[in-house]
Amino acid sequence: MAKTIRETLLGTLEHGQEIMENIRVMRSVSGDKLPTDSVTRPAEALHPRQLRLVVQSVADTGRQAKVLRFVSEDGYLPPFEAGQYINLFTQIGGVRTSRPYSLSSSPRQRAYYEITVARTRDGFVSDYLLDQVRPGDRFTANGPAGVFRYQPVFHSKKSLLLAGGSGITPMLSMIREILDAGLDRDVILLYGCRSPEAALYHEELTGYAAAFSNFRYHLVVSDPAEGWEGERGLLDEALIRRLAPDFGERTSYICGPQVMNDFCKSALEAMGVPEKRIRREMFGARRDIQNEPGWPAGLTGDEEFTLTVEGRKIPARSGESILTALERAGVRVNVCCRSGECSLCRVKLVSGQVFLARGMLRRFADEQYGYIHSCKAYPIGDVEIML
Amino acid sequence: MRDYDVIVIGAGNGGLAAAATLAEKGKSVILFERHNIPGGCGTSFRRGRFEFEIALHQLSHMGTPENPGPLMELFKRYGIYDEIQWIPIKELFRVNFPDGTGISLPADRKSCEAHLCREFPHQAQAIGRYFEVVYGFCDQAAEFAAKSAASTGEPGALKKAVMKAGFPRLYPLLVKYAMKTTQEVLDEFFTDPKLQLALSAYWCFMGMPPTRFPFSILAKCTTFYLETKPYYLRGTSMMMNQAIMEAVTRLGGVVRLNCGVQRLVLENGTAVGVVDEHGEEYRAKRIISNISPLATYGRLLAPDEVPESAREYLKPYTVGISALTCFIGLDCPPEEIGFTTSFTLNYESLDANRDFQDAYKLLPENDPLVATCYTVDDPSVSPPGTSVITAGTLKYSAEWEKLPPDRYYEMKYEAGRRIVARLEKMYPGITEHIEEMEVATPLTHMRYLGHPGGAIYGYEQDLMQSVFFFPAESKIPHLEFASGWVNACGFGPNYTYADTLAARVAKEV
Repeated sequence: MAKTIRETLLGTLEHGQEIMENIRVMRSVSGDKLPTDSVTRPAEALHPRQLRLVVQSVADTGRQAKVLRFVSEDGYLPPFEAGQYINLFTQIGGVRTSRPYSLSSSPRQRAYYEITVARTRDGFVSDYLLDQVRPGDRFTANGPAGVFRYQPVFHSKKSLLLAGGSGITPMLSMIREILDAGLDRDVILLYGCRSPEAALYHEELTGYAAAFSNFRYHLVVSDPAEGWEGERGLLDEALIRRLAPDFGERTSYICGPQVMNDFCKSALEAMGVPEKRIRREMFGARRDIQNEPGWPAGLTGDEEFTLTVEGRKIPARSGESILTALERAGVRVNVCCRSGECSLCRVKLVSGQVFLARGMLRRFADEQYGYIHSCKAYPIGDVEIML
Repeated sequence: MRDYDVIVIGAGNGGLAAAATLAEKGKSVILFERHNIPGGCGTSFRRGRFEFEIALHQLSHMGTPENPGPLMELFKRYGIYDEIQWIPIKELFRVNFPDGTGISLPADRKSCEAHLCREFPHQAQAIGRYFEVVYGFCDQAAEFAAKSAASTGEPGALKKAVMKAGFPRLYPLLVKYAMKTTQEVLDEFFTDPKLQLALSAYWCFMGMPPTRFPFSILAKCTTFYLETKPYYLRGTSMMMNQAIMEAVTRLGGVVRLNCGVQRLVLENGTAVGVVDEHGEEYRAKRIISNISPLATYGRLLAPDEVPESAREYLKPYTVGISALTCFIGLDCPPEEIGFTTSFTLNYESLDANRDFQDAYKLLPENDPLVATCYTVDDPSVSPPGTSVITAGTLKYSAEWEKLPPDRYYEMKYEAGRRIVARLEKMYPGITEHIEEMEVATPLTHMRYLGHPGGAIYGYEQDLMQSVFFFPAESKIPHLEFASGWVNACGFGPNYTYADTLAARVAKEV
């Protein structure tokens, strides 16, 4: 067959004949290159598109909290880093929503994942998980995800864990890993609770503290009953200085209710701890958004506005995030952290006013072009968005 | 079922530009993107106080306001040029050598040549000749490209013979250098290995070591960056993505984020539509795929729908390299650790080709290290008194794919530790200033891009698979490809390639 003009001219180039010959050889010796199977399987083993979970057991801690143990429906759970969460999807009364739960089990065993669900006031999802869920129930989740974890390249091997209430759960995973695996790390845990009765895993933690010299544990009770002999008060500067005098050498990790989280951060900052040594888990959206700094005066959180999305008009309460309003109306939104960080629930604000809670890690371009993370955006008037 | 003139699959650079150009030309177009953000390989992410750029080091093809380049013209057409703050970069790059010396090249031909001659006086003459060849080569390549674009059909045998005879006389530099590797050409001109490394740095933009990196791509990179100047922009490459996406909408196009395409619809072997991930069907006169040909044929079609010619066509092509990157936020300004040129290439020895072989290993060893500090040219890229650095090596994914999942995090951080140790040698004190840091491995790229091998540049960009032999042809009528898998990858080249493609498609529909 006569050569095309293209081949002819390429043939005049130095090495041209040789390279075209190489390509001909490659073509004849190469097999079919089209994938017949997923080409991203190794990445999916770490980050499956979806976790399919089955409840294996539900254990009552006796402290207004239960431990849900999940196994995998398809027999495989990806590894995770202690401190990470899964975002658990639920279908309750016709509403599909989700909540991020820190894994409290150790990442060194991968037969199951455990989350610890504590009772909260008006907890739409937590009530359901505490009261309705039985072994055998099935859930989907995404994750494990999150960056609240020990990063060995730049975190100190000495950790100061500041936990409040159910904020103990990611810490528990970290502690279990360190102690189970005998890692060369040193941990001080200061655990703030209203009462000793509310302290989750107190016996387990006390046992670890007695058994391991690289783990110290103090339960700090804010509202103790008569006769409490342990630490009392808040996780404030004086207490941290006293119980963790080497705080300056430590990387601090804070997890707990928003108020506690902010309080501890301020305390550490006042003590001169730089940003790089303070790690915070945002732990979902706060329920009392009207107490967030900057919340518009005159709004109670109960006002009802109209949210327009793709031509649909749906009701939206000022005290609930746009994400929640969308979920109530059955609008499917991509979601993961529900804490303002991951950006999966990002939507475009077309018109109207929203209140943006702190902790929304928006890209510069999103700020310029009016994109908001719907999990941390609250309608304070009629609003139109684009998905 | 909904009807459009054109459906575009994937909002990477090629998909965005294709959709914008079609919308600009009044065509009805819908662009599907399975992620929640546009940008494909070129996006950003946030950690703490920092926003990290994932892909863009320096934008080429921009030009200056007095002498606009093709990309500036394109962004003006889209009406987005003024929406973005463009940041000119003073120097092309800095190459750091293992003995602690280094050389930074100014972004201007005259000063660049002069600087090289000062640094390498014994090679001054060769430097002058080299730049003549680089520029002359690009002129001839452009001239020939323009001429072939204008000609149609196969000439007769006689004309062919005449052309064959005349070609070497008309395009001598093309004939001599177009099929040569970078190393071959540099060896012809220079003996000093440091000078060779100072001139070959762009190999890392294509992921091929100098012994495999086509000289023609090096020549084009060199002239483009010197003539149209390297730029960065305020707000990472996400600003361009979002600006183009808004332009698509403004010009009447439709963009669907969070909505992947699950199937290509064929009728009698011709592409007529797609089915999105929710099962909704869309029809169009043309489909432009901005995902890889592998995924287009392999994932969007049933095996028996794939034309045999497509399988045959893609046989010689090998999936290319991935990367291992640390995204680092520092709580100090760049000068405090001595970072002065934004884009640096750092060698452990003077043999880049040998060091590159470590790209096949799991962990960074002697791999050439690319480190970019965006704060050098744009102090506002992160909060005052901080800086943003991305540092990493090119890596093939094979060893990472073999790693058992439960060893993944340990190895990922070990890789990060090694890269930071390399940085510490050059920028003492850097480790103590780390405030945020993420490590991305080839599997991270695989996860977010969905590419086999976590490939970041598509196919291997060597002489057999790029330049004259990009797999740009579609084997299905009415299906076109726009991504970096089928043409020179990179922001500037990809936008302009997709614009040209879309302009042709616009004439057909």
